[in-house]
This record gives sequence, C-alpha cells and structure tokens, in this order.
Amino acid sequence: MRVLIQLRPTPDVVAAVAAPDLVATTADVTDELPGVALDHSFTPVALPRAQPASPGGDPLSLNQPLVFSMAAEQASVLVRGEISDDEGSARVALLPGRHRDVVGVYADPVIETSLTCGGSPPVGTWRDVERMLSVPELRAEGYDGAGVALAVCDTGVNAAHVAEGLGLEVAVDRERSWNPGGVSGDAGEFDVDHGTMCAFDALICAPRASVIDIPVLLSRRRGGTAMDGLLSDAVAAFAHLRTVLEAQPPESRALVVSNSWGCFSPLWDLAPGQPGNYSDNAAHPFNIIVGSLEQAGADILFAAGNCGTECRDRRCAYPDRPIGGANSHPQVLSVGGVDTDGRRVGYSSKGPGRLSDRKPDICSYTHFSGSKAFGEDKPDSGTSAACPVAAGLVAAVRTRWPASLISPAQLRTLLHRTADDRSDVGFDYEYGYGVTDTAALLSALKRRASRLPL
Amino acid sequence: MVLITVRLPVEATMQDALRTLGLHEDDVDTAYGLVPLDPGQGLYALRVTETAAGRLPPEADGPFSDPPIEPYGPPH
Repeated sequence: MRVLIQLRPTPDVVAAVAAPDLVATTADVTDELPGVALDHSFTPVALPRAQPASPGGDPLSLNQPLVFSMAAEQASVLVRGEISDDEGSARVALLPGRHRDVVGVYADPVIETSLTCGGSPPVGTWRDVERMLSVPELRAEGYDGAGVALAVCDTGVNAAHVAEGLGLEVAVDRERSWNPGGVSGDAGEFDVDHGTMCAFDALICAPRASVIDIPVLLSRRRGGTAMDGLLSDAVAAFAHLRTVLEAQPPESRALVVSNSWGCFSPLWDLAPGQPGNYSDNAAHPFNIIVGSLEQAGADILFAAGNCGTECRDRRCAYPDRPIGGANSHPQVLSVGGVDTDGRRVGYSSKGPGRLSDRKPDICSYTHFSGSKAFGEDKPDSGTSAACPVAAGLVAAVRTRWPASLISPAQLRTLLHRTADDRSDVGFDYEYGYGVTDTAALLSALKRRASRLPL
Repeated sequence: MVLITVRLPVEATMQDALRTLGLHEDDVDTAYGLVPLDPGQGLYALRVTETAAGRLPPEADGPFSDPPIEPYGPPH
C-alpha cells in the first residue's frame, strides 16, 4: 500500500523543505524507515501545524477557528513510500512508535478522475486488447491455441456470433462439450449471452483453440432466475472435464478452463466455520474437484468478481473479502480487471481471498467493445471478460507448452513473475502480481526452451 | 436434495454407494449420479434427500452448501 509519512525532523530540515527557493529531497529528510520503500522521486512537502485561533482553545480539535503555523519548530514534513500489503496495517500502527521523527502514517489512495465502472462506456476495442496482448507476436511464434481444449463454463456459446465478430472460424468440440441435467441445446448453438462473450474474449488470443461448451449457468434445477446455476452442476461439469483431460495423451495434455462466475452472497451459503460451507472451506466438494482437476494438468481460471469497493455490483453482499470459494482457490488463477488504459476497473474485486490470501493473482483486460453480446454499444465487461481474455493467453501458451512440460502451477508462477507490476513492491490486493505481459512471458518461455534438452 | 460426499473404492458405482450408505435409489438423485471428485483418493459426490442425509454413516460427509452461481458480468 502507498502511504504518506508525516515526519518532524530538526527545524533546519523543516526550514529547508519549506523554503521556496530550495529543493529538499527525501534523503535530506530521513534515511531509512523500517519496512518502508521510500519514494525518492517525491519532493517532500512542508505541512503547517494547525493551532486554535483563540488562546485556551482545544489543541486537538479541528472544529473551531484555526491558524496555521509554518514556523520551523512547529511545521512537519510529508514524504511518500510504500509498505507491503502483507503487513500494511501492522506497520502503519507500529511505525510512529519505532522512529523518533515519525508523527503519523496515512493512506495515499490513488485518485482518479473517472474510474471505469459498470455503466461506463467501452474503453477501447478488442483490437486494442489484441494489440496489448501482442497477438501478432504470439502467432508469429506459433502460439495460436491449435490443439488446445478451451472449456468455457458459462451460459453456452453461440459460435456463429463469435465467428462473425472475430472474422474467423470457431472450432467447437461438440463431442467433448457437456450439458448439466435438464439443460437442452446443442454446443455452440446457444442464445447469444454471457457465454458467447466469454468465448469471444478467449479466442482473441487463441483463435485456433477448440471450444468445449459447458453451459453450467443454464441449470434451472432449483428455480431462481434463468441465470442461476447450482454449484453441484459445476461439480459434475468438472468431473466431465477430468475425463476429457485424461483422454488426452499424457505428453500433450492441454485443457484450459475459464470460469466467469461465482457466488455473490453469503446468504446462499452456510456460514464460514460450518462443515458444509463453500466460501471458506477447502474441503467443499467443488473446491476438492478444482484441486483434483488442476493436479491432473488443467489450467483453471476464475474471475475475481465485481465487488471492488469503488463501484461494486449491487448484488455483492459479502461485507469484506469478496473473493471466496473456488474464485480464491490456491490452485486457480484468479483474474482481476483493468481497462485498455491499464487502470484497474472500479468493480474489480480486491483481495485477500478467502481460501488463499494472495488473490487476485493477476489482472487482464475488460470493459472494451468486443463481442457485442449485450448490444452494439455495450462493452464486454466485468471480471467476466478479463478471465477469458487471460484464459486465451494461457491457451496460446499451451499450444507449444503442454502440461507435461510446464505444470499448471509452474505456468501460474510464470504469469506472476512476468506480470507488469503496478505497485512497485510485488503483489498487492488490487492488481495481484500485475497485468499480464505477453512480451515478458514470451521472453521467459524462450529462456526456458533454451534450457530444454534437444 | 443435498450434496454429500462418500469414500468408496476406486471406480465404484452408484450401487456401491447405495450399499455403503445404506440407502435406496429413491433416496438419491440418480440423474445426477455418482460424481468422482478425486478418483485417486476414492472420493465421490452425490445428491441425497435431506432425510437420507440425516442418517449417514461415517464414510460420508455433508451436507455441503449448493448455492446458486451467477455470471460475473456485466456489472449491475
């Protein structure tokens, strides 16, 4: 987390910072502060002391007439730095007591003029996403998704709509697609909806992947809205995907599973701590089968969710830690969203996760004009879009690197290490390890290839 | 119907599950079937009536929550 640190150094240093004709640096003000990465590009700022205007006024009240003193003995100095998210609150609390000059430590939130939110118009197009993901460079090196199975677990795919939008043939693997009980319809021929958006977004990076259509969100077994599914159907879907994976030759296994869904409310779940709970319970059947499928060689991606504090989806009902259940599973890649300007969208859920602390893992692109599944002027939005965009990148990698050469865990680590870090100190709860960086990923894969025996 | 798990030998069938759990076909969601969660560990999921879930043997766990799931987009 970024912080502002209020210091009270010696009066001569305060005077130097306050002097308009001098430029003091952070190094002039302080040496090291334990656990703080000082931002030496930030010019220290002198801060006046507020005092009661009337003699006898309450020295701790700001709710009265005040005067402000820039006298060197009374003013203080602000510097900027960063504290690791892992222990941010502890350091903020302890720092003033451990360093004689520190008066206070305050959050330094990013201020934005217009954060992208749910109702915002599209920011860029899928062609921008294609460029930012370096798709031409990927294709030039043979990373196009050929031979890779890409499961889209969603509301079903309309392949004709995707093909028309992307201007390419879409391969739907009808034999390996699967419907939950009670759901009719043929793979690749469902109504244009959320699943079609997901397939479109995944194929930006992996146009030759074979789409396995899993319309798990169309389940209506227990009523509810038409979009409600049941988690037990997802359990069955993942069991089916395991048979798909195990039917692939062990030396060339490549199955990427994209999941842009989750649970919005703890009211739909047993309370954390109860044995049957889902959100916080690694022993829930769905969380077990997720781990089992990943262990067998599948890359599993989940959207982080749309419960970011700046403009959360109104369905979000978790009071905190909205990334729960499989969306926070340690063996999946949990994907947050950035717009094509590279800024986190305000609805992208922040960590920590419930099953695994370090969530989201990474961010990918969302809120762009793409599939037009929801209308001509409507963006592909939500972390729902960011997840398949990242899944497409993973599928592209799998074209040449099956799970026998890079395990799903190794590929997640590679994506973490090559991500474009947005916090300067590694992982943070807003961007995870950063935004996927295709160029850095390709470089890392080349280095890895050079180490393989001929 | 509620979601439970049961430990059974590898490649077990629904009949094996019914025998181990002491249940009849009417007690389970046969359309859902016996779903292998972790075949190597012999762990399976199935859906049973709430009444049946109340008299499960030690080989079984549950019931587990089976919440509705929703797409994460577009944001409302």
